[in-house]
Amino acid sequence: MSEGAKIRCLLAMLGTDVHSKGIRTLAQILRDEGVEVIYLGEHNTAEGVVNAIITEDADVVGLSYSTATYLHYTGELMRKMRAENISEVPVMLGGLIHPEDEPELRALGVRGIFGPGATTRQILVFLAEATGKALPGLGGQ
Amino acid sequence: MDDLDTLYEAVRRGERRAAARLISQIEAGERAVAPLVRRLYQAGGATPVIGITGPPGAGKSTLADRLVGLWRQQGHSVAVLAVDPSSPLTGGALLGDRVRMGRHNADRGVFIRSMASRGCLGGLAGAAGDALIVLDAMGFGRILVETVGTGQNEIDILHHAGSVVIVQTPAGGDDVQAMKAGMLEIGDVFVVNKADLPGADRAVAQLRDSVAFRHHMAGPELWVPSVLKTQASDGSGVVALDAALSAHIAHFKDFPQAWARRQRLRAEGILVERLREILRERYRLGAAKPQRFACALDDVVARRADPYSAALALLGEGGLA
Repeated sequence: MSEGAKIRCLLAMLGTDVHSKGIRTLAQILRDEGVEVIYLGEHNTAEGVVNAIITEDADVVGLSYSTATYLHYTGELMRKMRAENISEVPVMLGGLIHPEDEPELRALGVRGIFGPGATTRQILVFLAEATGKALPGLGGQ
Repeated sequence: MDDLDTLYEAVRRGERRAAARLISQIEAGERAVAPLVRRLYQAGGATPVIGITGPPGAGKSTLADRLVGLWRQQGHSVAVLAVDPSSPLTGGALLGDRVRMGRHNADRGVFIRSMASRGCLGGLAGAAGDALIVLDAMGFGRILVETVGTGQNEIDILHHAGSVVIVQTPAGGDDVQAMKAGMLEIGDVFVVNKADLPGADRAVAQLRDSVAFRHHMAGPELWVPSVLKTQASDGSGVVALDAALSAHIAHFKDFPQAWARRQRLRAEGILVERLREILRERYRLGAAKPQRFACALDDVVARRADPYSAALALLGEGGLA
C-alpha cells in the first residue's frame, strides 16, 4: 500500500433506522483521526451502499443500527456484496448489537462488531488492521 | 503492458471498479498509472464537464442532485466528482456530499466519487483533473464536478470544466463582494439559490449588473453569463439552469474559434498548475532532494549565491527554465 494512502471508510445506515447520532459522532472522530469518511447518512438500501462502495473504492464499510433489524439488513448487504464480487471489503457494525447475535453476524462475514462500551481505540485498531493502512493516531506500533 | 491495455479497455468500457481503483491510485500519487492516464486523456474530450462551485451551505450538492435527476430523465448517464475540504491538522475528511444525492446511490447510471482536498499526494487540482480524465474516458453523458469555491486549489479544478456554475444565496451580500474579487471571471452561469429567502431579487439584480459591466463591449462570439434564481430544495429553476448550460454548450458550437481560444486558455491554466504542483512536491520540506539541491543550499547558506539565482540555476538543470 502506498505510504500516503488514506483509509477511505464508508459509513451508512440501512433501512428505516433514524438514530444517526452515533454514526455522526463516529464520522467526526474518524475524520479527526485522519480517516477519509464517506458519509452516506440514513435510509440507504443495500444496492445503494454496494454502488457507493464500488465507485468510492472504499477500504472499509461501517454500519450503525439502533434497532433489531441488523441481522436482516446486514445479511442482505453481504449477499449483494458477494454478488458484485466485493465481499473482500471489510464490514464493521456498531450501535445496539446484542452479544448473542455476534456469532451469526460473524457467520455472515462481518469482521468488526462494536456494541455499547466499545472504545474509539478498538475501532481504530480494527480499521488499521482490516485495511493494512497506517493511522497516525495509533502511533508507530 | 498487457495489464495497462486491460485496464485501459476496462475504463473505456465504463467498468466502475477498474475506474474507481484507478482514481484511488491517482489520489495516492502512484506514478505507475501515468501512461494509462495519458492514453485515457488522448481518448477523451467528448463529454460535457460542468463545474459547480460556491460557498459552503449555498446548496451546491442539492442543486447537483437536482441536475443529476434531470439529466437521468433525459437519458444521460452521469458522473459526479464531489470535492470536500479535509482537515489541515489531521488530513482526515468528512465527505458528506452524497447525503444530498442519496436517491441516486442505487442507480447504476450515476457514478459518484468523493474526493478530499488534501488527501491527494502532489496536489488537489492535479488529482481531481486526472480523476476527471478517467471519468471522461468512461463515456458518460454528463460529468459534474463540485467544489467549495474557497481557496485557489478548488478554483483551479474549474479549469477542467467546460461550463462553470457559480452558486450563492441571497443571504450572502458579502458573497457577492467576495465573488467580484475573482469568481466573476470564471462563471458561465450564476445561480442565486434559496430564492425563497428575502433579497433574492436584489442579489440577482446585483449579479446582472456586474455581468453586464464586464460584458458591455461583448462581440457576438463572447458568451454573456446567465443569471438565474433556483430553489434546489423543491427543484424550481433547475430546468432553466439546465437550459442555460445547454445554451452555453450550443454557443461555443456556433463559435468554434472562441471555443478553441477558451480551451487553450484552460489548458494553459491546467499545465501551469501541474508545473507548480510538481515543483512544490519535489522541493517540499523534508522531501529527498538531489545532490545538486544540497550544493545550491550550501551556496545560499554561505552567501555565495542569492536564493533567486540558486533557484533559477536548479530549474535550469532540471530543464524547466
